Amino acid sequence: MSRKVTIAFLLTVIALALTSFTVVAQDLPFAGRVINFLTIQPHAVASREAARLFEEETGADVQVLIVPFPNITEKALLDVVSGAGEYDVVEIWYTSLGTLAANDVLLDLTEWWETNAEAIGADDFAPTILQPYTEWDGRRWAVPYDGDAHLLWYNSALFEEYGQTLPTTWEEYVEVCRAITEAGAANDVYGCGVMGLPAPIIQVGSFANRLGGFGGAFFDAEGNPTVNSPEAIAALQNMLDAAPYALPEPPSVGFDEVIGAFSVGRVAMAEFWTDFGQIVGGVEGSVVGETTVAVPMLVGGSNTTPRPALNAGFSVGVSTLAQDPEVAEAFLLFLARPEINVALNTIVGGLDPTRLSTFDNEAYRTHVTPEIADAARTAILAATAWGNTPEWAEQQEVLNNNLSAALVGDLTAQEALDATQAEWERIHAGG
Amino acid sequence: MAVATAPQKQNIHSQGSNFLLALPVITVLIIFSIYPLIYMFALSLTDSRLARPFQEFVWLDNFRRAIEDQLFQTSIVNTLIYGFSAAIIQLIVGFTLALFFYRSMKTGKYLRTLALFPFITPPVAVAMIWRLIYEPNAGLINYYLRQIGINPADPIAWLGNPDLALFSLILVDVWQWTPFVFILALAALQALPAEPYEASAVDGASPIQSFFYLTLPMVAPALTVIFIIRVIGAFKIFDQVYLLTFGGPGSSTQVASFYIYRVGFQQFDTGYAAALTILLLIVLTIVVTLLTQFRNAVRTRFE
Repeated sequence: MSRKVTIAFLLTVIALALTSFTVVAQDLPFAGRVINFLTIQPHAVASREAARLFEEETGADVQVLIVPFPNITEKALLDVVSGAGEYDVVEIWYTSLGTLAANDVLLDLTEWWETNAEAIGADDFAPTILQPYTEWDGRRWAVPYDGDAHLLWYNSALFEEYGQTLPTTWEEYVEVCRAITEAGAANDVYGCGVMGLPAPIIQVGSFANRLGGFGGAFFDAEGNPTVNSPEAIAALQNMLDAAPYALPEPPSVGFDEVIGAFSVGRVAMAEFWTDFGQIVGGVEGSVVGETTVAVPMLVGGSNTTPRPALNAGFSVGVSTLAQDPEVAEAFLLFLARPEINVALNTIVGGLDPTRLSTFDNEAYRTHVTPEIADAARTAILAATAWGNTPEWAEQQEVLNNNLSAALVGDLTAQEALDATQAEWERIHAGG
Repeated sequence: MAVATAPQKQNIHSQGSNFLLALPVITVLIIFSIYPLIYMFALSLTDSRLARPFQEFVWLDNFRRAIEDQLFQTSIVNTLIYGFSAAIIQLIVGFTLALFFYRSMKTGKYLRTLALFPFITPPVAVAMIWRLIYEPNAGLINYYLRQIGINPADPIAWLGNPDLALFSLILVDVWQWTPFVFILALAALQALPAEPYEASAVDGASPIQSFFYLTLPMVAPALTVIFIIRVIGAFKIFDQVYLLTFGGPGSSTQVASFYIYRVGFQQFDTGYAAALTILLLIVLTIVVTLLTQFRNAVRTRFE
């Protein structure tokens, strides 16, 4: 008898639990609905966390589909062109925004932005990223997701050991780099790491850091190419001047090489995103620890305002073939929220802030240290953007090829950028 | 008459059956080989983007552009250097190893298994291994060079020096694919008949004479086939360039397949990428035709 009672009691408890779970699940607005989120491998952790938080709040099932960074634009394009319609929400390297929008991969969100203006809170996004990340051809296509600008990282212990002070200009940077490399030759220590591997995100990024520093820009206010301006030539010349003293050899140095060398105390200065300190500190055998310090990018020539480059940086948009656009748009609105921006920036493997309020958030400042938070804010508020038009993919390749030729001495800085300007003008004119 | 028509009908019937039997293969061939080729050729005559193919017929403009494209020319030269150098070195080293092990270990069973490792290693792992080996300061090669007293003022940047980078990639290819050549060459050697060697021994031939007058002539047709396979394989090099040098420094390791990838999937200019692919196909066809003629000449000479 008692066994029967026990079984009946247990069954009742289970039934009640299941019923209450069902009631809770049914209360959630998107319970049982599924969307696919295309994201890049470096953001796998953050995107999974975003999916988890959204699922908790709405009941929607967000499938995170991860692809390598260089392939994301191609994946998003082919998904729509082939009619597969596998993705609802796509992450966008902002330089591809025009390409994706012009090819009908992204839903036009202009009216959605207006309808949800208050919830989106555009004023809180860093003004320097708002246009390049979200706008093309006068329309809005996305919301900012990951704000990315380089900082100048240095190893304070090496500076002390070799009696150097931190440079404030790119000209001083070359001198400090040379001094440390010459003094540190016996210990395989180099003053700087110049990333010149000919992948655009790497090599164009190194050039763009200097371009802004010298007061140049890729385009003028009307969108005409200005890549062979005197400032741009001085910027490239500075990169070439540093190369002989940099971690050998700049044309083969990418992210991994700089991370590896910096973490074991062989490189005194490196340009990288705000999570560099965590990355190099996490490398097995790392010796840098608290000696890793970041400052905003330097200035050069007659320019006195630090203007780093928006190297990388991502937004999120809705695919035109989204199976569930309603949930996809709700996910975008969710990702744009200030507290979600904080949440995704306070985890290891997280993002970089897009919202100004995140820079002031205590949790974020504690997570990255107040100094890095301030340096990152200074950097992003003055940052200069790459192009985001449909022509940029081709322009970027042309620039990359010519930078590569300059770095190995086949072209001078002037020749490389004159050739780039000529090609950019042809592309810009639709040639 | 009746006697004459019966075999004819049978022949027609047989031809029909043969065609029906071959139909699945022909269909697969059309779908997976001929259709893409026609599509690519049509694409090459148009202004096409990845997401918007066939926007406008530009006829031969893409080909004209390709012929004037210095980077493409460089990539073809690099591909030829890479393909032939890698294949020649692999053939020499692989065949030499096969000869050595054929003589010292007739079965070579365990060695063949071991030899499989380099070419079944995933390309990413190969790239990681060689990136460490080539590292200028802490890399294995420079370390051993320093041990034997070769210590230049600046460490040798195997992947960062435009004069060395292509050679460094060839070395990776040699490491990865020589075992493949070795296994095939060993199999060719093991298939050689014993009688000619016994006869030559009776006649008092030296090992060197046996090699030049028996082994080499008999194995030469197989070696030329192995060589052709490796040239074609090396022509398609992509992964190591992508993972180790990204076509640099400068354009020193820019090979055709990688350049076409950049045009097609980074610039999304698929019309132009299709024209480059057709031109590469023409170059490859010429090379393979010449090599086939060479193989036939070898076969005629030695058989």
